[in-house]
This record gives sequence, structure tokens and C-alpha cells, in this order.
Amino acid sequence: MKMKVLLALGLLGSLSDVHASLKWEQSQVELHPAPGDATAVGTFKYTNTGNTVVHFKSVHTSCGCTTAAQTKDQAAPGESGEITATFKVGASTGVQQKSVRVETDDPNEPFTTLVLRAVIPQLMELRPTFIYWESSEAPKPKIIAVKAAKELNTRSLKVTSSNANFATKVQLAGPNEFKIEVTPRDTANPSDASLKIEPDGGGKAFYATARVVNPTRAN
Amino acid sequence: MPQPLRAAFLVLMLALLPAAGEAIYFRQQVSWKQRPKADEVDVRTAQEWQALWLDARPGEDFQREHAPGAMPLNAENWDELLPDVLKAWTPGRKLIVYCSAQSCDASREVARRLREEAGLKDVFVLTGGWEAWKTEHR
Repeated sequence: MKMKVLLALGLLGSLSDVHASLKWEQSQVELHPAPGDATAVGTFKYTNTGNTVVHFKSVHTSCGCTTAAQTKDQAAPGESGEITATFKVGASTGVQQKSVRVETDDPNEPFTTLVLRAVIPQLMELRPTFIYWESSEAPKPKIIAVKAAKELNTRSLKVTSSNANFATKVQLAGPNEFKIEVTPRDTANPSDASLKIEPDGGGKAFYATARVVNPTRAN
Repeated sequence: MPQPLRAAFLVLMLALLPAAGEAIYFRQQVSWKQRPKADEVDVRTAQEWQALWLDARPGEDFQREHAPGAMPLNAENWDELLPDVLKAWTPGRKLIVYCSAQSCDASREVARRLREEAGLKDVFVLTGGWEAWKTEHR
């Protein structure tokens, strides 16, 4: 008899472990901000399906570039709410995945990780954004490959060097693709230049850096 | 085996069932703590290098405090901050990027962009981030 009671209690205890009272509509949100958008905002909706009040203890994001705000500090049984995560796009590109960690006083599931996935279009891809010559190197040209997004409809590029020691020449390499040839006039002395790259359609300027550097020993 | 012990054993086994189910069902869930990777370096090793330190945290955090000699470089102000970093770097010099803690991913993102976009090699992420640096210097 005692054994049956113990077994029943154990079974009940184990079953209650799998029923979290805070039910999330979705734990991952994918966003596609438009070119030029400053932020990407995702909303995570929840409902308290349990029979006790759930209190939010903390909401933390995985980086300073993302903030999260909850509408309420607690959720009564049956109550719904949401947590809003805002990702600052800045100069980020490509697929950005940020996490929001929610801590509640729900003993069955105290932590929930919500994922905000932002796919940020790249208007112009420069490879590489940095070229350099060591001071012992011959002043031969180096290439920066440029791929412009179709929506920019770029037919030509204007490249401005901040330092006359670096000459630039732009070549068309295909539809929306260019090659920027950069040549230092001399590599005897350290120098650097910021290369401002502007598509003919106007809008945002892009930057690359060119340098003549003194080599250092590896450490 | 005495009966109470057998009962306790059975209860434990029953409790393991949902735990195993959760472990299988949520195996793809993002892990909050990530394992150290090959491109990571711990604080003690990093300090032995004459590396260029980069702070990938937001500007306000950098202004408040940062590793001595570190330069700010974050995604929010990438275009403005990157030229100064590239001017400070010299060939052969390692770069160490940190953000606030092991759980943050800003340092990994900055390191990725330095490698893929700027074409720099020897870019490392500080294991444990700023939290680990502070612990080491208490």
C-alpha cells in the first residue's frame, strides 16, 4: 500500500514538471528590416495557462545592441501579455541573432530563452574594407571588390581618397559589381587614407581604409 | 533490496522520464552559456600578448570603464570607429575583442567582421569578456 502511494506521488510530481504555466506563442521571431531602418522590433506574446500568478524576475538581452521591455511585471492565470525586443541595426549586416532571457518565479520553468533573428540587407559589400602595404613592399595596386545591392541600381562609383598618396581607379566588373584599384605613390613612409565610396544614385556613403605601415614582429 | 529503497528508486526513475523527454525535445535550444572556441583566449594568456584590445560593448559602457589601452569598436558605430582601429593596428599584431560577459555575442560579431570584411587575421575573442577581465584584476 505504502509503495503504491509513493509511486502515485512520484508520478504526480513528475507529470507536473512538464506543464509550465507561461505559454509562449513563439520563442523565435525572424525580422527583415528594410534598408535604412534604424531598429528591428520583435514581439513575443505569452499567456499564463496555469492556475497561479507568474511574476517576472528579470529580462536580460545577450548584447547592448538589443533592449527588451515587458508590458507587465506579472501575469495572472489566463492573462496574456508580451515582451518587446528592439535590436539597434546600426552598421550591422547579414543575419543577426540575439537572445532575450526571461526569468520568472514559475518553479517548473523559471528560464525561457527567446530568440530575435534579424536578416539585414547589405546595400554594398566591400571586400576587403582594409588594404595595406608594408613599408618594404613595392607600391603595386591592390583591389577592393564591390558588390552593390540591386535596389541601388548603381551604374558607377565615385571614390574619394583623403590622402593624395593613394590613387584610385574604378572598373566595372559586372552588373552591380565593381573593382576599385588602389595604388600608393610610394611605400617608403607610413601613411593612410580613408576611401569614401559613393554610388551614383546617391544615398549612404561607404568607407574603406588604405595604409602604408611599418611591419612589427608577431607576438 | 528493502521495499522503501526499491520504492524510492522507482520514484527516481519515474522522475527521470520527463527530464529525459525535455532534454531530447529542447536539444536545439540556444545555449545561454557557450563553450570556449578555438578563436577564444583567456585573460591570462591575452595579457602576455602585446595585442590591440577592442571593446565591443556599447559606447556608454566603454566610457564608464574599459581595459587599459582598449579602443571602442561596436556595430552601432562601426563606420566611425573602424578607421581608428585600422590605423592603430600593425601587421603581426593580434587583436583581442571583448564584450560584457561570456553570454554576450557582440565580441564574436566584431571578430567575424574584422576577419571577413577587413581581412585581418589573428583576431581573438576574450573568454568571459569584461566580467572575466574584472575578476582577474580584483
